[in-house]
Amino acid sequence: MNTSLLNPFNITYPTAVQASLPSQCTLARFDRSGRFVAAGRSDGSAAIWDLETRAAVRWLEGHVKGITSVDWSRNSRFVLTSSKDWNAIVWDLASDIDPPQRRTTIRFDAPVSSASFHPRNSQIILALLQSGDAYLVDLRKKHRGRVELEEAHDDSDEESSTSPRSAMTVAHFDPTGRHIFVGTSTGSILVFNTRTKTIVARHKIPGAGVMKGFDFAKSGRRLVTNSSDRTLRQFTLPIYPPPIADRECTEQELEPTHRFSDPINRTAWHAMSFSPDGEWLAGGAADPASHKIYIWDIANDGQLASTLDGGREPLIYVHWHPSKPSIVSTTNHGNILIWHCPSPERWGAFAGGFEEVDENVEYEEREDEFDIVNLSLIQSYLFEEDESVLAKRKMRQEEEEVDILTGKDAEEDIVDHLRFNGDEDDFFWADDEPDEDERGWRMKIVMEDDDMI
Amino acid sequence: MNSADDAASQTTEDDPQIPESHHAPPPPSQPHPPPVVAPPAPPPNPPASAHARARPRYELKHSLSGHTMSISSVKFSPDGTLLASCAADNVAKLWLSDIAWSPNSVYLATASDDHTIRIWDVDSGLTSKVLKGHTSYVFCINYNTEGTQLVSGGCDGDVKIWNATKGRCTKTLNAHLDYVTAVHFNRDGSLIVSCSLDGLIRIWSLPSGQCLKTLAEGHDAICQHVQFSPNSKYILSTAHDSAIRLWDFQTSRCLKTYVGHQNAKYCIAACFSVTGGKWIVSGSEDTKIYLWDLQSREVMQVLDGHHGEFPGFVISSQTHPQQNMIASGSIDSDLTVKVWVDRGST
Repeated sequence: MNTSLLNPFNITYPTAVQASLPSQCTLARFDRSGRFVAAGRSDGSAAIWDLETRAAVRWLEGHVKGITSVDWSRNSRFVLTSSKDWNAIVWDLASDIDPPQRRTTIRFDAPVSSASFHPRNSQIILALLQSGDAYLVDLRKKHRGRVELEEAHDDSDEESSTSPRSAMTVAHFDPTGRHIFVGTSTGSILVFNTRTKTIVARHKIPGAGVMKGFDFAKSGRRLVTNSSDRTLRQFTLPIYPPPIADRECTEQELEPTHRFSDPINRTAWHAMSFSPDGEWLAGGAADPASHKIYIWDIANDGQLASTLDGGREPLIYVHWHPSKPSIVSTTNHGNILIWHCPSPERWGAFAGGFEEVDENVEYEEREDEFDIVNLSLIQSYLFEEDESVLAKRKMRQEEEEVDILTGKDAEEDIVDHLRFNGDEDDFFWADDEPDEDERGWRMKIVMEDDDMI
Repeated sequence: MNSADDAASQTTEDDPQIPESHHAPPPPSQPHPPPVVAPPAPPPNPPASAHARARPRYELKHSLSGHTMSISSVKFSPDGTLLASCAADNVAKLWLSDIAWSPNSVYLATASDDHTIRIWDVDSGLTSKVLKGHTSYVFCINYNTEGTQLVSGGCDGDVKIWNATKGRCTKTLNAHLDYVTAVHFNRDGSLIVSCSLDGLIRIWSLPSGQCLKTLAEGHDAICQHVQFSPNSKYILSTAHDSAIRLWDFQTSRCLKTYVGHQNAKYCIAACFSVTGGKWIVSGSEDTKIYLWDLQSREVMQVLDGHHGEFPGFVISSQTHPQQNMIASGSIDSDLTVKVWVDRGST
């Protein structure tokens, strides 16, 4: 709301570190509101930081081995953590008890590389195991179950029937939740329909190598991939038709619209994150000696806009704020860095009625502007009339209706607008048995004891 | 004390006591703490089809006595079940100037002349936290919407922001040159508005603490209370020229002016009433409470109930968060908190 008062130039990527939170964590992600950061640690615990007060407000203890991923439900009530201890845990931040109770523990038979909530219903969870398998776990009563996502075997292709199945190395919901995108060790992207769990498309990405990470633009139409050839590729995704029983899986090579890499040092990338409007891409460099985040300007043909320097502690993870020009990144010393656009203090704001201008303005005064007027009878009469005219004008101006109640609505889920024609089935399926993650839930305020410092 | 006039400070009895919460079960009519439960549901709100300009019909419903000195502030709890009031009498040499409810209605923060803010657990009546840091009387406080932060204004011109769960000051703004008379968070906690006897209204950005804007209108309009509108787009200010103004702070324009009452000496708080019709409610130095129509600025109703030997300036008034109810407290010899209920317009 106050951005109009603060940022006249509309630079939309952060440029400086605003704060450093000593968290001993390895990865950190904003929630959908941008108010909280969930930080996962290598000892298995996770912390929830409130950025308004810059303090850790909740500790999630339960895992016994390092955390591999964290995810937030859409209204920030539930947090999903996955760990090398073969488990994924769902935590409820609205619980009255502190520390928060686990809501559900999901056990697998291998260390869990990542786990994420379905964007519309946090009871549907996608998990990727280190063994190269991906599962869709449904915790709802009617749909309860666990399905392994498998590539359909293509009998006509002799090669695939003899060679070992490629391992799945990345798994992600798209922003609508309709599809699950899986990256493989052979440089392919598999697209599954979430409801039917069948594969609808396979995209081979030539030259990519092992797929390491995905990030979607909020619109869901663009995807950036990180792979072992140290290049980030941005793709514009095709529209996938609804799954029909006999329809064969589409085989399509995708050409990236942009490639991002570090041409000088050929540094690999740990993570990347789109800005909320999709105009910028932040790439966290896997530089062993320094903390570097590259910012590319997608709207401007993908040119490198800036390189943010976060100091000596190498970067591990990076995530862009859901709505502001702000980034959270983690260092290998465990610190969380919050980046922002610093705005210089406007000293003119301290004096009412003054406007700051960038350059001197030559003022042309009227001939009689600063004349001292003699208060003759006629002129005093004129003055009075002027005053009453002014007063009348003010009264008229004050007639305008003022609305004191409607506010800036909470950002509507862009997801809700992404309804493709003819396939409401996927949304109905996901919204069936909604989770309890409602807007407007409140985290209980827990007063800290004075002896806890 | 709420008065701008230092000579009006009064002495009180001896022993330090914590506020009334610790007295043995008080009679039901005694106000906070323990706070009074709101009276049974008032008559149903007029049907939605009622004329948009239906007049308010507030009537005196309750008179709560118990304070022995002038009342400086009355506040409904956010869940609408409790009413808290504070006065100069509670603790020896310890005036309370202002109180604020935490959004979950569990805690009450009090601002006092002993330079501290205390956070009380309302159910137990015990002090949960003592916030130290101000170097003079703390005049006004408010919670943010989440209940995680407090903002307070002191008589030395400082505005302080506190982490409410830790009880520590996170920021100090050298906001004004004179008593800071009101501070308020906007709805999403990104702005603070403050006003002071130095005649200025200032808007600050959080978390940076930078000043974004200064509003001032005229020499006579020393402003003593200011707050954001429910949607935080506008600011309501009360000034010593007997006028209440609604500002659009983005454009620094005064959009509405409400006159008809008297306010030239004391810090009188005006507030919005949005539960029924949209009114501006304010106390006045002529012992009455005025209600204006928000859009037309007409005086819609005048509540007359505070009586006593000496003129009772109605200093504090507040509207109930859900019901058409107003609570008012005054500096007068009848020392009551009055609760007014709208009996419904026809």
